[in-house]
Amino acid sequence: MTRRSIEIGMAVSAATFLISVPWLIPALTDNFWVSVITEILIWSLFAASANLLFGYVGLLSFGQALYFGFGMYGVALGIDHLGLSFWPAFGLGIVSAIAMALVSGVFAVRLSWHYFAIITVVFSLIFYFLAVSMKPLTGGDDGINFSLPPVFRFGGSIWSLTDPTFQYFFVLAVVSLCFFLMYRVINSPLGKGFLAIRDNDLRASLIGLNVYVLRLIAFVMAGFLAGVSGALFAFFGRYASASYMFYQVSGEAVVWTIVGGAGTMFGPLVGTTLFIVIREIVSSHWEHHSLIVGLLAILAVIFAPKGIVGLWNGWMTRLGERDAASAPPRLTLQAEP
Amino acid sequence: MRDTVLLLAMNGLIWGLIIALIALGLSVIFGLLDIINIAHGDFFMVGTVLAWFSLSATGNFWIGFIVAPVIGFVIGAIIQRLVIQPIHGAAALSIVATFGLSLILQETVRITFGATPRRMLAPIQGTVPLFGIDYEIYRLFAAGIALVALAGFFLFLQHTKLGIWMRAVRHDRETAVAMGIPAQRVYVMTFGVGFALAAFGGAVAAPITTVDFRGGVDVLPFCFMAVIIGGLGNLAGTVAAAVLLAFLEGLVQSVADPTVARISSLVLMSAVLLLRPQGLFKGFTR
Amino acid sequence: MSEPVLRTEGLIKRFGGLTAVDNLSINLAGGRVHAIIGPNGAGKTTFFNLVSGMLSPSGGRVFFRGRDITGYRPHEISRLGIKRTLQVKSVFPELSVADNLWITRQAGRRFLHPFRRAASDLETKSHVERILEQIGLSALAGRPAGTLSYGDVAMLEIGMAVISEPSLLLLDEPTCGMSPAETNRAVEKIRDLARTIDIVIIEHDMDVVFGIADDITVLAQGAILASGRPAEIAEDERVREAYLGRPEDEDFVEEAAHA
Repeated sequence: MTRRSIEIGMAVSAATFLISVPWLIPALTDNFWVSVITEILIWSLFAASANLLFGYVGLLSFGQALYFGFGMYGVALGIDHLGLSFWPAFGLGIVSAIAMALVSGVFAVRLSWHYFAIITVVFSLIFYFLAVSMKPLTGGDDGINFSLPPVFRFGGSIWSLTDPTFQYFFVLAVVSLCFFLMYRVINSPLGKGFLAIRDNDLRASLIGLNVYVLRLIAFVMAGFLAGVSGALFAFFGRYASASYMFYQVSGEAVVWTIVGGAGTMFGPLVGTTLFIVIREIVSSHWEHHSLIVGLLAILAVIFAPKGIVGLWNGWMTRLGERDAASAPPRLTLQAEP
Repeated sequence: MRDTVLLLAMNGLIWGLIIALIALGLSVIFGLLDIINIAHGDFFMVGTVLAWFSLSATGNFWIGFIVAPVIGFVIGAIIQRLVIQPIHGAAALSIVATFGLSLILQETVRITFGATPRRMLAPIQGTVPLFGIDYEIYRLFAAGIALVALAGFFLFLQHTKLGIWMRAVRHDRETAVAMGIPAQRVYVMTFGVGFALAAFGGAVAAPITTVDFRGGVDVLPFCFMAVIIGGLGNLAGTVAAAVLLAFLEGLVQSVADPTVARISSLVLMSAVLLLRPQGLFKGFTR
Repeated sequence: MSEPVLRTEGLIKRFGGLTAVDNLSINLAGGRVHAIIGPNGAGKTTFFNLVSGMLSPSGGRVFFRGRDITGYRPHEISRLGIKRTLQVKSVFPELSVADNLWITRQAGRRFLHPFRRAASDLETKSHVERILEQIGLSALAGRPAGTLSYGDVAMLEIGMAVISEPSLLLLDEPTCGMSPAETNRAVEKIRDLARTIDIVIIEHDMDVVFGIADDITVLAQGAILASGRPAEIAEDERVREAYLGRPEDEDFVEEAAHA
């Protein structure tokens, strides 16, 4: 088995699994797990936004919940207050998250490291408290509920997220698209610029990269990802609440990312899955499941500081080296790492 | 109106002194170990809970003033040794680790103490007339204790062996190690001291706040504000900022609701971060 | 006389009470290799930091081919064609050797495409492959730069300087910490580069300085102590004095006398 064949095998089985979820899950277990997997997809996109900043640009944001919240409230207020239909509300959520990310990014990316981490929390706290205090508009911590408008209408047939299978595929499609976009960015010239800045920002500026502008672009992109996930979560829960803008929500995204593997494409997905599955399994038997989550976070950073995917990549590299050692030496030049 | 303003300003001032204690703990941990301690608010919360337990176990409130910092110190030292040391001061990992710690502390308290917030009766009841209002005696007493503890901590830094070691390691780790200062032990002690300060703050504050397993969540951002506005590593600045912030929040609270007060200090903090990242007081203290 | 490549007028940099660069007016003509030497703390690296925009001067101006670049930011200066290396070797440790070169080549562009596959850029790829061959690192192309040996990192740095096609190259102690064999390899490469690029080099190794420099400027305490041809510098009494009592530079005095 080579590394490549293992990875292709895993990708194919993951994709097959994801596509067959609405039929496979009811056959194996409770329908309820379809909605858990939907939720995992949404939150992994949120974790991906923290990962884009921390794993690929080296900026530790503790305030991604702000853009999640803007995506969420954009949808909820768009539908509930402005009477928008599905797509305009979706658009409003994403655009407001991007706009907020741009405005706060202009200030935040001037700072680096600890200061950056702290100012992102501060910005998100400011808007959290604003949302809490503007109760007539936002519903505060109790939030606002709204009823879902249909996604499409073709003649007589109406497609709406009230159908769990359609909702699952809708979320899967949007999340996959976002992950694909992120994959393209990471492997583009811009993505290599991000990595260069993460590795050594001083050197990056000396070779001619505009560190400030690149960081700002990444910050806005991360705001986009968080905004999309917030908008999806609003549709999923038919609900928006200020409590999702609190710093602990941002913190969870960072924890999921680092435990899963920061700077890897699927680390956030793995970390999010792990934590949400544990929460769902344990919380039905034992109300103190956070104890396990906390313990797991600590064990992960001690024993797998590069995260689960990082650990896996390490094994794969060793496997590759073993293969290379046993196989006759190859003389081909590997220009593409 | 004047009475309300005065009352809230006084409350703010005293709360600020207690926050200063907790924030000092955060600042030494941050300065020495380069760790953003997300669990620091929970260290405070653990202090309030320890005070509650020692009161209900012994019937004597004052025992808590000893129990909370001592147990806090021990837990802090153990945490440093078991959790913080293995990650070698990698700041990003420390955030995850302390986030995990925060969950564990909160959940442990929820299991043992329960999820219902409780109020603790102050050991000194009654009020005294002060500037024309009747003010709770215990709050004044708490302010005095906090001041004594703050002074004690600065004396500890200046005059004890551990305090001098802590300052040396903070200043220049390499030279300190070369001079034979056991840096690892200093780290363990520092984390213990940081926890003890927060826990002591919790014990002092227990009768004027609620004892609740989520009691630290609100305190944490406040401590960070004090540390940032005071200037990272500037201990005297941290104290000044904590008092100033809480006092200002108290004043704003008398004309607007507490959330607005909190928002205004956060805006102030953003301005400080962007315009004077070295803190408000740099140049005044050293 | 043509416009000098690099000119400074009364350049000053103070750090608190310390004046690191003191009213420095320097004039470097094109087509030659300039070496800047001087005892530790003479302000050599500070001078590079001022020219490359990493520090902003407390006073004075910097001109690059007649253009006033005082106060430009590092990436702007870099895009004008002034590239530099750092004294402490500085690459992108987690990127592969090839990617280090790749991003350096691309960095000068105003627009980094956000969606195109980086690997599909054949023009950049062929540049990277050519440079890899020139610096002898083709076999290590896929290795993370952080895992390279010291000498290989130094060669990679030189490769990164070359691939961006600079018009002025500032080298800060390029051979520091290299083995003699590596030093020879680096000196050869620098000589080779000097045919097409203007080079300013800070160097402690006097073999290297006298081997490649056309002109030498000696700095002491932030000001010019002497400047001229290598032979003139070697004879200069003040230069000898500045170096006296510094054991690691005794070689220099001897060697300079024979140069």
